[in-house]
Amino acid sequence: MSGLKFPISTKRLALRPFDRSDVALVSRYHLLPGVQRYLARPSRYNEDVNACVDIMRNQIGLQRPGDTLTLAMQRKSDNALLGHVSLHWSDATAGQGELRFVIDPAHSGNGFLTEALSAMLDLAFDHFRIHRVFVRCDGRNHHSAKLMQKLGMRLEAHYREHALFQGEWDEEMHFAILDREWQASNKVRPMLPRDRLHERVA
Amino acid sequence: MSYLPDYPIVTPRLRLRPFTRGDVDAVHEYRCREDVALYLFDPPLSREECALAIHQRVLQTEFHQEGDKIVLAVEEVERARLVGEMSLVWRSADARQGEIGWIFHPMHQGRGYATEAARALLALGFEGAGLHRIFARCDARNTSSWRLMERLGMRREAHFREHALFKGEWDEEFIYALLHREWRTE
Ligand SMILES: CC(C)(COP(=O)(O)OP(=O)(O)OC[C@H]1O[C@@H](n2cnc3c(N)ncnc32)[C@H](O)[C@@H]1OP(=O)(O)O)[C@@H](O)C(=O)NCCC(=O)NCCS
Repeated sequence: MSGLKFPISTKRLALRPFDRSDVALVSRYHLLPGVQRYLARPSRYNEDVNACVDIMRNQIGLQRPGDTLTLAMQRKSDNALLGHVSLHWSDATAGQGELRFVIDPAHSGNGFLTEALSAMLDLAFDHFRIHRVFVRCDGRNHHSAKLMQKLGMRLEAHYREHALFQGEWDEEMHFAILDREWQASNKVRPMLPRDRLHERVA
Repeated sequence: MSYLPDYPIVTPRLRLRPFTRGDVDAVHEYRCREDVALYLFDPPLSREECALAIHQRVLQTEFHQEGDKIVLAVEEVERARLVGEMSLVWRSADARQGEIGWIFHPMHQGRGYATEAARALLALGFEGAGLHRIFARCDARNTSSWRLMERLGMRREAHFREHALFKGEWDEEFIYALLHREWRTE
């Protein structure tokens, strides 16, 4: 599962591996509470950002199950670092992958994640031959839910009060898409009207 | 925090009680069947495997730590015969989560026994063990199991498609759940 060439280019973005020198840029958004909420391994201090970038810059391919590929989202027009997207190969026999993402809140709402995640779905299905890609997000994160539906992902799970997060009841949503569904849509869908965003799990 | 229920638990038609060594044959009678095992994680069990399972279940009657299971024999009061089994697993101590499960002899299905036994076990979980949320899982094709979940007032929280392989095929799974406060108002 190698042979990837970086950067991966989309209309407005260059997706490329992290570099040590990215620490300063990453610190600008990484420690914001809104960003921390969705991280697998939360961090609090600047040293943690160092450690985090160190981990991410080594995540450059999927050699074996359990590996993660993490790419920085760099805006082509001015080289600004907007956040990152990553693909985690969670299960080899059943071909499962998980997408995660972080965006600097200052740059959200411009469709950058839609662009980057579409490229990651292409990569997951066409290059890595993954069968199903899923995303987990906070049940109250309407932005993510909207984004997932725009990408054609289906709401597969909506857990309520299934766990505690920092002393409060958590709510979690899972979205998923199969390889054949992505091939069939392949284009980013028009947005659903607002009232259809929180459909019941079918 | 340990929880040691009082047994037996008696409902109008049933008695839920700990397993005893004498239950091996009655359990083998349904756990050996292909139709019963169709959507279960375990394949049909031999008599020896049943004996081993019962050996473990004799002690599975209390919650002491996360991961503990309560597995109970369900007996028809009228004829004092074993008709199935119920389980409740303590999945999380801090978030007070439990998972419920059921297996009945096909001969005794279709009479509402599973519903009756499940209601008693939900009461045990919510009131006795102080659980906050109880969930159940099943294969999407296991209609009698998810219809039972709906009868119990559980909500469908997940419908996973092709998220794993089960017995060599793509798996499709439902997860249903019920919160303590929803159970009370039911
Ligand atoms: C899942 C399983 C326990 C459900 O058993 P069940 O007998 O269908 O469930 P209930 O006891 O709730 O009975 C409900 C049925 O009895 C009928 N019934 C009759 N008297 C009733 C009463 N007093 N109360 C409620 N239902 C009654 C209901 O109408 C219903 O029938 P229907 O399915 O034709 O509509 C059983 O199918 C089973 O053991 N399957 C094999 C093992 C398995 O797959 N376990 C679950 C793994 S996830």
